[in-house]
Amino acid sequence: MAKVTTPKPAELVTSIDLKPSGKEWMDTPAEIKPGTFCWGAKAKNLNIVEFPNARDWNPSEEDWKLPENWQEIFLTGMKNLLDKYRSFKVFMDICVRCGACADKCHFFIGSGDPKNMPVLRAELLRSVYRRYFTTSGKLLGKTAGGRELTIDVLKELWYYFYQCTECRRCSLFCPYGIDTAEITLMGRELMNLLGLNTDWISGPVANCYMKGNHLGLEPHAIMNSIEGMIDDIETITGIRINPSFNRKGAEILFVTPSGDLFADPGTFTCMGYLMLFHELGLDYTWSTYASEGGNFGFFTSNEMAKRLNSKIYAEAKRLGVKWIIGGECGHMWRVLTQYMDTWNGPADFLEVPVSPITGTRFDTSRSTKMIHITEFTADLIKNGKLKLDPSRNDDLIVTYHDSCNTSRGMGLLEEPRYIIENVCNHFHEMPENTIREQTFCCGSGTGLNASENMELRMRGGFPRANAVKFVKDRHGVNMLANICAIDRATLSASMDYWVPGVRVTGVHEMVANALVMKGEKERETNLRGEPLPGKEGN
Amino acid sequence: MQEAEHKGMKFTLDDDGYLVNMDDWNETIASALAEREGIGELTADKMAILKFMRDYYREYNFFPILRFVCKNVGQPRNCVTEKFIEPVLAWKIAGLPNPGDEVNAMGRWEPLGF
Repeated sequence: MAKVTTPKPAELVTSIDLKPSGKEWMDTPAEIKPGTFCWGAKAKNLNIVEFPNARDWNPSEEDWKLPENWQEIFLTGMKNLLDKYRSFKVFMDICVRCGACADKCHFFIGSGDPKNMPVLRAELLRSVYRRYFTTSGKLLGKTAGGRELTIDVLKELWYYFYQCTECRRCSLFCPYGIDTAEITLMGRELMNLLGLNTDWISGPVANCYMKGNHLGLEPHAIMNSIEGMIDDIETITGIRINPSFNRKGAEILFVTPSGDLFADPGTFTCMGYLMLFHELGLDYTWSTYASEGGNFGFFTSNEMAKRLNSKIYAEAKRLGVKWIIGGECGHMWRVLTQYMDTWNGPADFLEVPVSPITGTRFDTSRSTKMIHITEFTADLIKNGKLKLDPSRNDDLIVTYHDSCNTSRGMGLLEEPRYIIENVCNHFHEMPENTIREQTFCCGSGTGLNASENMELRMRGGFPRANAVKFVKDRHGVNMLANICAIDRATLSASMDYWVPGVRVTGVHEMVANALVMKGEKERETNLRGEPLPGKEGN
Repeated sequence: MQEAEHKGMKFTLDDDGYLVNMDDWNETIASALAEREGIGELTADKMAILKFMRDYYREYNFFPILRFVCKNVGQPRNCVTEKFIEPVLAWKIAGLPNPGDEVNAMGRWEPLGF
């Protein structure tokens, strides 16, 4: 495929046109523009998970190689979803088009494309719903807001459901509480009935299904990655760590996104977990089978997400652990707390998580038996169990990006902040309408973080980057902290593009830099191998 | 597919310029690939990086973490980007398989999703 070029930031900003075109949206077919879509799913990856209509296809070509009865498949699928999910039917029916959501979407703000207003993105599917599933629409068609499901409409649905990151910022402002992300979830379910997935999502899904993680890391590669980190930790601290893998009888199973095992800066976050657990003497194990915390199945279909997720409880049972800790991840956390229990639980063979260090019982996880590592670490700090030297992070002026899924989705707002405030001395919040529940998406979640999709990613990342720029200009912020593996990859790209000079870190990288470990040598560098503040001349 | 020749040695590249059969690779072909990609002479340092990547791929069926490449060949932490501009170019000149569109444009050495 041809390499797609991305406009320069100044060109991109000036191209945002918020003036209405005057054309009827229904009469304006989607123009599938290079740089704003992901390549189509490959046959081999769809075959691995036995998905329908597996073939190589290219969204920019006219022929999407659909089955002849694609319309029937779509409408039958839609009927099934409407019957199965009461919420979907309600969301199709109740929107009054007040427009409160319109300017809340990062893709609309960054593109000015009216079909990226959440109300209109949902309307793309609602119009089909009205035409085929309501009496008024069946009788009156367009007059009642209905429209035929043509091939152009199908392409438009595909294009715009892969221009939504399911971040739910729009839902926060909806007076009815319509969950637009759920509409996108349904839209993507329908696309998958026709083999209309993307390469960037279906590749990791196939990898995860075969090998246990999105990257397709095999057990010895996982161990090799971690061994490399252990070598680095030894160089920095003088302490040799010996984590265990697939160990039966461990108290705790630890599961993190596989991105932490491979790509910087996630690898530094991963070193943070290793150092923290070692210092505590925690009785825990890694798994090379349940080796993925994230779940790209969740961006595909409910069933696929459930299949990928099943490995976590299965491995917990096989190893006989008592409970589970999850690493720093966003969508992983939504899946674990809101879906896993009913998909693959109840995990009645596990116990309610109790911190062996503090004795704190995590009752909020009494059903799932799995806690987020920031809950675990915040509790350690609160109980004075960690010796911390925040001055080691004095070169960092930090701000914190709330991942959509952990903050708006799960209310995990205070724990990461509490940790950051204890491990570094310079922390500044971004403006209040861009953080916590109102946080702006990184712009590349839900599997949209493919490089060929870079223009869309940078457009979607603009509002978040703009808020970072604000605190950079005002306070000199140079580090953007987060608790999500997708953020660590995608924000690095959007910072380089929009706010050069701001780097990206996981929270546990900063924890480990500040953590004073028993028997450590005097540290000269941080986890990235850069001199600590005051050691620059050494 | 395209046939290429360098110093009397024939080899086949795919449409993106990746060596089709990784076992065809040798230092002469590496020099030809480097020339095609606009990378200067393959010094001993560069060759060490390429050979490590090949060995790693054979054993682990994956891409190595970049800073571990440098550590293993005893070079500074940013050795790959310093010497090859984009890590994926090193991958290509090492004669390793076309990683596909998703990794091809990765520049940043970001793997498939997370």
